[in-house]
Amino acid sequence: MKKLSMVILATTVLGAALAGCGGTKDNASSTEPSVGVAIYKFDDTFMTGVRNSIEKYAKGIAKVDIVDSQNSQPTQNDKIDLFLTKNTKSLIVNPVDRTAAGVIIDKAKAKDAPVVFLNREPLPEDMKKWDKVYYVGAKAEESGTLEGGLVVDYWKAHPEADKNKDGVLQYVMLKGEPGHQDAESRTKFSIKAVEDAGIKVEKLAEDTAMWDRVKGQEKMAAFLAAHGDKIEAVFANNDDMALGAVEALKAAGYFKGDKYVPVVGVDATAPALQALGDGTLLGTVLNDANNQGKAAVTLASLLAQGKEITKDSVGYEVTDKQFIWIPYKKITKENMSEVK
Amino acid sequence: MNTKRMQEVISQNAIYIVLVVLVLGIAIYDPSFVSINALRDILIQSSTRTIIALGVAFILITGGTDLSAGRMVGLTAVISASMLQLQDYPRRFFPNMGELPVIVPVLLAILVGLIFGMMNGWIVAKLKVPPFIATLGTMVIIYGVNSLYFDSEPNQSQPIGGLRPDFTKWGSGSIGSGPYSIPYIVIIAIFVAMVVWVMFNKTRLGKNMYAIGGNEQAAKVSGINVSKNLIMIYSIAGALYGLAGVLEAARTGGATNNYGNMYELDAIAACVVGGVSTTGGIGTVPGVLTGVVIFTVINYGLTFIGVSPYWQLIIKGLIIVAAVAFDMRKYASKK
Repeated sequence: MKKLSMVILATTVLGAALAGCGGTKDNASSTEPSVGVAIYKFDDTFMTGVRNSIEKYAKGIAKVDIVDSQNSQPTQNDKIDLFLTKNTKSLIVNPVDRTAAGVIIDKAKAKDAPVVFLNREPLPEDMKKWDKVYYVGAKAEESGTLEGGLVVDYWKAHPEADKNKDGVLQYVMLKGEPGHQDAESRTKFSIKAVEDAGIKVEKLAEDTAMWDRVKGQEKMAAFLAAHGDKIEAVFANNDDMALGAVEALKAAGYFKGDKYVPVVGVDATAPALQALGDGTLLGTVLNDANNQGKAAVTLASLLAQGKEITKDSVGYEVTDKQFIWIPYKKITKENMSEVK
Repeated sequence: MNTKRMQEVISQNAIYIVLVVLVLGIAIYDPSFVSINALRDILIQSSTRTIIALGVAFILITGGTDLSAGRMVGLTAVISASMLQLQDYPRRFFPNMGELPVIVPVLLAILVGLIFGMMNGWIVAKLKVPPFIATLGTMVIIYGVNSLYFDSEPNQSQPIGGLRPDFTKWGSGSIGSGPYSIPYIVIIAIFVAMVVWVMFNKTRLGKNMYAIGGNEQAAKVSGINVSKNLIMIYSIAGALYGLAGVLEAARTGGATNNYGNMYELDAIAACVVGGVSTTGGIGTVPGVLTGVVIFTVINYGLTFIGVSPYWQLIIKGLIIVAAVAFDMRKYASKK
């Protein structure tokens, strides 16, 4: 009996190992250069979009190997060592921690494998270390500016949005991870855009919900308990948190009849588009995952083949010889069909 | 009779067999895996894990457990990194701090690890809190302390970068150059393993550790000062986590308060796969080393041949369960 159970156990382990191998796609055609891709973590909604785009556009131009850094910089460095040992021709790195880029560049330079950093911008001094280092991403402040713009448009078109008629926009802010470049700049520039449009603002509350929907809901519930109907707008650094806030607002009776408060987010994720359609989310800003992935993999493929990088060869404007900026877009109910 | 001997040999050496099978399997799938560079990568990637796992092994052998190991690695990584930034780096943690000798922050970080380890030991030995709960508590406390420090002015939760090359060389440099060079970090790990082997096998502390883990009451009756020994053992483990944290910062050239997250689980898994008994009293240094290397080979080798990361998780989990199941069987048959 005991023996039998051991046999079953051993078979399961072996079976899993074999199934794992079977699960890999081996579409190696020897002419396509190998590109190693290290994503900061696989369960991030936005980066999953970028990842899918990389896979989609790699067909025919590169053999990509995409790995999960599990939100740990040491793990990512390990994966990069592995790519370099395998003589990968170029790398796409979405750093866990942007200050770690310096070490990654040193490693890649030693093996002459060009690096395309993605979505988290290395420090300027690190970018200067080598001319075969590129960055593909969006300007974080632009997402904030456009997000603020969504609220400005609404405020100007709807006088009733000023619930207490004091001429001041009372708002709450749901922030991403403290210290994260995007979180800090979206927080700052969304409000700046409102102020620049000549609207006075008053911050009722601001807290971090760590990019997370559940935490967004919890924090919003707490804001509602403290401020209730005084809240005239909800800013969230991303859609997941905005959707969490929408859930909390629904629970408090909003979005029924004329009880309404504008909620804005960033990312234009599929659930966010759904909410736009439902009329619960006012607007979001598209961080263009599709073009980020496409630009990164096109660039990495060209670099791997030692080809020249120009606007014509990549298909995107190259700024300062090392940067490709992918613009954001405002998304509301009216133009949401463009995203799908 | 002969088959029984065979079975005995197999079960005594099961983990080594697993390691060989793994390596062979990967090598057959992709022969380019067999290279000096891959071996070097595996040794480098096993180094800090080995140091952490040896710390955890001390505690597992006493019959305890330590959930705070990973967070201690994070704290000590941040402490050492914060004091070893380049003088001309624009975002320094301590803008006005002069250039300290590398050894000062390193020793300070190890000392911090030792103190928190001592705290763990004291809570377990004197307050009689079960180790799982005691270290669960300190795990959360240490993360809080680290986050406070990391968030202090003027750093405000920014990742700490710009570490001095005379520090980072301990993580990424090596003696000699090219594929046959020996990385410092591997030398450090081997040295630590030898010291721990001596402690386990040749010192009174080691003998007491096995005795306490085997049967705490019996150890007490035979005149061992259990509290004192436990506090010492937890302190040593803490110092090892401190060293590991320093090396993680040196290896990656930076640190954040999220470093080390969940490392304790990897370390515990490596120990149990390496034959350390979770019920205490059993465990060897070569076993722990093999356990660590098995996991690195899984991490590295399966990524090398392109196995999906989700399948890697499933395989890892099954190996943990299988290893302990075999271990329990061995234990039961001895009884």
